[in-house]
Amino acid sequence: MAGIGFELRKLLRGDSFLSDVSAYLYAAMVSSGPWLMSVLCLAVLGLYSYSGFSRHDQDIFRTTIVYVYAFTLIYVGCIQLVVTRYLADRFYMGDDKITLAAFFTSSVIVLVAGSIIAVGAVWFFELTFTYKIIAIVLFLIVAMIWLTMIFLSAVKDFRSIVQAFAVGTSCSVAGAYLLFPLGGLEGYLLGYTIGQSVIFFWLLARLLAEFPPGRVWDSEMFSYFIKYWELAFIGMFFNLAIWVDKIMFWFAPDSRMVVPYLRTHDTYEGPIFFAYLTIVPTLAIFLVKIETKFYEHYHDYFAKIVSKENLSSILLEKQGMIRMLKESLREILIVQGSLTMLCIFMAPEFINLAGLSPLQQPLLQIALVGSLLQVMLSVAVIILFYFDLRKEVLAVTLVFLLSNVGLTWLSMQLGFTFYGYGYCYSCFISLMFSFYIVSKSVRDLEYITFSSQPLF
Amino acid sequence: MSSDKEYDVCLLLEGTYPFVAGGVSTWIHNLIKGMPELTFTAVCILASSKEKAEYRYDVPDNFVDPKIVYLHDPVEISRSMFKKISRKNMDRLSQFHYRMDRNDISMMKEMVELFRDGKFPISELMHGKRPWELLVERYKPDTNDESFIDYFWTYRFTHLPIFKMLPIDMPKAKVYHTISTGYAGLLGVVARVMTGRPLLLTEHGIYVKERKIEISQAEWVYRKEDERLRIESKLGAFQTFWIRMFEQLARLCYDYSSAIYTLYEGNRELEIQEGADPDKIRIIPNGISLDNFLGLKPADHDYMGQTEFAIGFVGRVVPIKDVKTFLRAVKIVAIKLDKLKVYIMGPTEEDKEYYEECVNLVRLLHLEDVIEFTGKVRVTDYLPNLDLIVLTSISEAQPLVIMEANCAGIPAVASDVGSCRELLEGRTVADQALGPSGIVAKVADPVSTGEAILKILTSPILRSKMSKAGIERVKTFYKESDLNETYLNIYKDYMAMDDLE
Repeated sequence: MAGIGFELRKLLRGDSFLSDVSAYLYAAMVSSGPWLMSVLCLAVLGLYSYSGFSRHDQDIFRTTIVYVYAFTLIYVGCIQLVVTRYLADRFYMGDDKITLAAFFTSSVIVLVAGSIIAVGAVWFFELTFTYKIIAIVLFLIVAMIWLTMIFLSAVKDFRSIVQAFAVGTSCSVAGAYLLFPLGGLEGYLLGYTIGQSVIFFWLLARLLAEFPPGRVWDSEMFSYFIKYWELAFIGMFFNLAIWVDKIMFWFAPDSRMVVPYLRTHDTYEGPIFFAYLTIVPTLAIFLVKIETKFYEHYHDYFAKIVSKENLSSILLEKQGMIRMLKESLREILIVQGSLTMLCIFMAPEFINLAGLSPLQQPLLQIALVGSLLQVMLSVAVIILFYFDLRKEVLAVTLVFLLSNVGLTWLSMQLGFTFYGYGYCYSCFISLMFSFYIVSKSVRDLEYITFSSQPLF
Repeated sequence: MSSDKEYDVCLLLEGTYPFVAGGVSTWIHNLIKGMPELTFTAVCILASSKEKAEYRYDVPDNFVDPKIVYLHDPVEISRSMFKKISRKNMDRLSQFHYRMDRNDISMMKEMVELFRDGKFPISELMHGKRPWELLVERYKPDTNDESFIDYFWTYRFTHLPIFKMLPIDMPKAKVYHTISTGYAGLLGVVARVMTGRPLLLTEHGIYVKERKIEISQAEWVYRKEDERLRIESKLGAFQTFWIRMFEQLARLCYDYSSAIYTLYEGNRELEIQEGADPDKIRIIPNGISLDNFLGLKPADHDYMGQTEFAIGFVGRVVPIKDVKTFLRAVKIVAIKLDKLKVYIMGPTEEDKEYYEECVNLVRLLHLEDVIEFTGKVRVTDYLPNLDLIVLTSISEAQPLVIMEANCAGIPAVASDVGSCRELLEGRTVADQALGPSGIVAKVADPVSTGEAILKILTSPILRSKMSKAGIERVKTFYKESDLNETYLNIYKDYMAMDDLE
């Protein structure tokens, strides 16, 4: 993560407004791009209707895409942070030969596990055989996109990442549009899948060009799963926590089954996905601002310790870090808060624009608040990661997951007017908990840094 | 080892017998061998289990069940949420440090008991929050300008061995006898506190002084660059930290020892400086086995008619023995005396560079025909033909060479270090009455050394007198069998003593 931020800082030094904007744009792409692109893609596809493309077909397609993204994110999350950590350590030791070996190894894991999950799940769905095959391919390709992104963030070539997504998404839209007349729903999905594979191969080409070929199998990577087992759980549970309320709503009393067993909830998902779009600015600002500036403070703090400074100058450096953190959090709150407020007031207009029902307006409003809280939660988690407080992050993640499950269940029991509150309060509780841990950790930073040192 | 087995004497040994050969080890070996009626056990502190621990001595049958403790071996640390140090005990620990800073050791007993009762788990002391707060408090962040990271590691490195020593199970014994202060001394204090049995201390070299020399020369203790460049005697903050640690360990050991024994007067003064109670200190010099040396120089030697002389220098050819001063002194003597032969008896390979320098100096002084480097030889083969032995060391404790030469009837010229003056001029009144058995010269002073040599060689009467005085002195005061008897009596007295509080 630090790597991305640092490179962005360099981009920002090209002083023109344009380079400023493009840096923020890159940041948004890297941090949340894939998911945002797919939301955007779904929206664009939704705008066009074809003769013969029934509401039912569209539901099948949409739920397929949502399922694919949800479950790939959750299971790739399992290895995401572990691999990131492994790469960071390897780069630190100046060993970039390992990159491709690690990539191939984790590809095997992702593809094998992904095939089992995808085939096992899709098998029981009442869809045509061709559709099933394409869906499985799409599932694997999207999973591989996540994986490639992990490795590419090391390259810091944000331009090609953005290009890949822009071109690929256009291809998806165009492919779906062009292939529908030829193959119906199957053609539609195939077109979309082709676009996604353009993204994947584009990124893959970039990756292969960047790193020297190495061994094909890297068994050393597996030791990291034992050593950093918390990271595997964090990656999986955090993504699961983000998705768990949506998944639970697929089984709410007022949910429906599109075809066995593709389920959807008509009122819940739309506003939540829409609300996610509003957190783009924060994600961008955070990556550029907090991460780069925070990294500098963080670096200076440890540099002071290592260069044998006395304790009072170390503490002085920490004061700077705390001040910077507070300022940045205030900025996030101002920018994101005002944007969220604006969206809350303009909710009726957005409801119209996105083609949602006016009934969903309160749900959208509460989801907007929830997104704000969730993005702040991500900030806190990333700061905790900087201090390598993996157990603490795992605790935060578990709080998020369990509270989201519990409160979402409660909100489902309480009825329609409470929809969204479960997610929102869960974010709130986790946020408070994580801020408590962050402030405690920063206060005790010297203690944590020093006394965690092994004796031998 | 059965836990309730009680030994007569438990020796506390740090980096010595029976795993390391050397003067002190040999002394211990002879002590144990000389008292077959007592059973000895030992707790031997060694650096790490990575170095092989092999017996260097054929240990006597009455030396049983030695226990080995490794000072720098990793310890298994299991952190538990429920093993926190209580606020109250933490206050005690803080108070203990406050008092130790002021040389008040009154809380040691309480600390040892709490520690052994598991109230201060090592995991908490190393990783816990409250000990951390104490560490920061003691660093004094408002005024301290020294590197914090080095302070932290110095704390860990200095304290961890202590934390490892404190919980060790001690063999049951009637008397505990430590042969140094430092960590062995700490074990002695623990044994004394836990069992109430008396602790005895014998110091050959002064542990604190040796550590001071070691630490002031150590590269691994951080000092600010500008401090290192300056040529000065002031020590860096972390060297001071280490030294204070050893000073406090010594003070604890001195205070808890029922009696302190050392070899000679100079050591006694150092011990008093380090806080030992003068009334507890008793000087027990080393001894030699007389049979090997008595009569080596024929009693009817013709001093008056002698025209050819032979001088011996016994010792390794290394800087600490200051061979160069000896060579220059020989030049002064060689100018006055024609027929002179000089033997430098000792291994030359330990410091090859220094040996080369010495050989060059011999050439430069045109002494090739006079001086011979014999390498390692049996000194007793040479002693009968020598008229004088010379010692120019810049540091010594109680050199056996002088005792051996004197015992053989050969006078000595020695630099004024360690117990050389006592050995040559006598320590007690009765001893001094025997007359000198040699001359003490200034350290690193060729002129003073050369003149002393000339004085002895050119005066047959003096030489004859010194020879007799030396034999008498060693026979009376430096007899190994007496040494064993002295210690046997000491052991018996303290073994019979009631438990101390």
